[in-house]
Amino acid sequence: MVSMSGEERGVKKKRYRSEKKKDMISGYLYVAPFFIIFGVIGLYPAAFSIYLAFQKWNGLSPMSFVGLDNFRIVLEDPLFWKSVYNTIIMGLMGTAPQIIVGIVLAFLLNLTFLRFKNFFRITIFMPYITSMVAVALIFSVLFSNHESSLANYLLGVFGFDPVNWSTSEWGTKIAISIMVFWRWVGYNTIIYLAGIQSISNDLYEAATIDGANKFQQLLFITMPLLKPFIILTVFFSTVGALQLFSEPTIFLGAGAFTRDEALTVVMYLYRDAFKLQSFGTASATAIILLVIILFFATINTLITSGTGRKKKGVR
Amino acid sequence: MVKNKSKTKWLGLGLASMLVFSLGACSGDDEASGGSDGEVTLDFWAFGATNYEELAKEYEKEHPNVTIKVRSAETAEHHDALFTALSAGSGAPDIAALEVDQLDRFKEAQGRFENLYDLGAKEVQDQYLDWKWEAGANQEGDFLIGLPTDIGPKALYYRTDLFEEAGLPTEPDKVEALIDSPEAFKEAGMKVKEETGKPFVDSIEMAYRAYLDASEKTYLNPDGELLLGKEGNDVKKAYDYAVELNKAGIVGKLEMWSPEWANAVNKGEFAAELGAGWLKGWMEGNAPDAVGKWRVATLPTEFAANWGGSYISIPSETEHPQEAYDFVEWLVSPDNQLKSFESKGLFPSATSVYDMEEFKTNEDKFFGGQVTSTVFAEAAQDIDGAVFKGVKYFPVHQEVLNALHNVQEGGDPEKEWKAAIKRAEDLIDR
Repeated sequence: MVSMSGEERGVKKKRYRSEKKKDMISGYLYVAPFFIIFGVIGLYPAAFSIYLAFQKWNGLSPMSFVGLDNFRIVLEDPLFWKSVYNTIIMGLMGTAPQIIVGIVLAFLLNLTFLRFKNFFRITIFMPYITSMVAVALIFSVLFSNHESSLANYLLGVFGFDPVNWSTSEWGTKIAISIMVFWRWVGYNTIIYLAGIQSISNDLYEAATIDGANKFQQLLFITMPLLKPFIILTVFFSTVGALQLFSEPTIFLGAGAFTRDEALTVVMYLYRDAFKLQSFGTASATAIILLVIILFFATINTLITSGTGRKKKGVR
Repeated sequence: MVKNKSKTKWLGLGLASMLVFSLGACSGDDEASGGSDGEVTLDFWAFGATNYEELAKEYEKEHPNVTIKVRSAETAEHHDALFTALSAGSGAPDIAALEVDQLDRFKEAQGRFENLYDLGAKEVQDQYLDWKWEAGANQEGDFLIGLPTDIGPKALYYRTDLFEEAGLPTEPDKVEALIDSPEAFKEAGMKVKEETGKPFVDSIEMAYRAYLDASEKTYLNPDGELLLGKEGNDVKKAYDYAVELNKAGIVGKLEMWSPEWANAVNKGEFAAELGAGWLKGWMEGNAPDAVGKWRVATLPTEFAANWGGSYISIPSETEHPQEAYDFVEWLVSPDNQLKSFESKGLFPSATSVYDMEEFKTNEDKFFGGQVTSTVFAEAAQDIDGAVFKGVKYFPVHQEVLNALHNVQEGGDPEKEWKAAIKRAEDLIDR
């Protein structure tokens, strides 16, 4: 497989080179498992999906090339735009508050006079490591359509009418957003907390000597130095929000792919592939989603790094 | 040369590990089926609650050279796994059960299945109900994808306590005589509503399915074209009837299989269910408080229909089509269908079973000692012809149901109907 003729020229040289090569080969072998697995279950399906986007295929019959037809079908489908709208709305309601609440929680958790710190940290992080299926099932009980469900009961206490949490336009979105918020806020808080703790105490001491109060310290020391962490979480949250799938699917149960109130883009894609046996349009949707994610991730990252720069200018 | 050897060893190791990885990732376990002296191993994928494992053991005793491995899964999971295996071109079993609602999806790829007519199915054709057999063949009628197993003839399940309270008869033959038309069905419903205050039918889907299940032409034609909203099918009639019943206030909001629905069956929160034969088995196991409260009567002929049932097919990947076929033919024979009926309530599609003594005298404690099997047998024979469903039957069905649910929440029936057609059109040409 490999030509060995060059190896037979000089013993000294050969020994040195082959040792080096041996190291090289063993190095490649160490990293090979990742690349092989990634290639088989990551890269290949992704590439195949791009290929599929230009084919009409129901999974069993032979494929036929249809050009850009799949993209046309998806882009002309009002249900697709409804799913984009749903995804963005739920993304805004579910993830945007996380950023703000996450910073506040992280700041509170870092206060020197706070007791039982570890208890609070674990409590806030717990939802993130809880099984998502369990979370969605519990939430579907809390937010059931029934008048006596906990959510409707609480609304009743404050004098509001009960809401159809799994069939109404805003009820579903609010319930799912609350679930997403509850589940992910701890994750962001921990990242911010790590960020806050990496800020040197000297800066705060110097600021205190200069006469800055706590709020000014938060605004002019913590926030700017936390910027890389904020960019990171905004980026992850944007990508995560646009890929929302499991939470609404399990929350809605049997109605998940049949009603449009909380149908997200990934659910729309899944419905195409596995409910309608149309792998071509599903793949086309995946590519459109990729473009949407790139667009929003870029915009959000630009905005967050931009606000930081402004602050720098003010300072 | 020593060095060269060690190098080739390294390379060999690398390549071997790559192969192991890629093989492990790509292929399922290839079982060596078939041995030297006529030993045959057949993989059989079934779904739901069946007695096929016991029957397979019996068959193995009679045919010592045959081993049958039965693997049973949940319905959706079973069909998805089979679909994936067929799509990938490897990993499909020798024998696979197919649910009637999933049938058209697999019929589209008939090239991946054995034509059972080539294996001798013609000889047993006259044992089975015509409409059931026809639905297992392709449109031209020259390719048979599966042999018939059970069916789901629909009948009227009704609560005797609520019927009595409403002043309606409670004996099955008197109920049949009273509710002999769609109009009479509605009138009985309004009486129940007036006297007891409870809904007659559990959900709008059931009211809709009354006519829908009985029509031979529904949403799609064999060319995959949408018939919804066009002339020549009964969907609109079914839709209008459901709207009419809803307007009369006799339709509940209890979705089948939901916990609320299960509770209502148990406690008698609605009076009538247009259920298939298999619902009986569920009720017996899940409605302990309703023992003796429910009875079964035949539906008006307009509503005579089938709901559910299965076929057994042989994917072409098998190396032993004839051996597989022989087992399947034996498995769905009238005698074995009777056994499946007695142990798991799978309602037979072989007509000779209906005349067997054990079948006719099968009293149901749950139904107050009524012999329900003859009611369903009668319903099965009332059905006219095979219903064509098509690959996208369910997505379209779902859109119409959404429209009906919106009507129940106060939507305008005509507007919702038009919106449903629009949504169905959007999903059909992809």
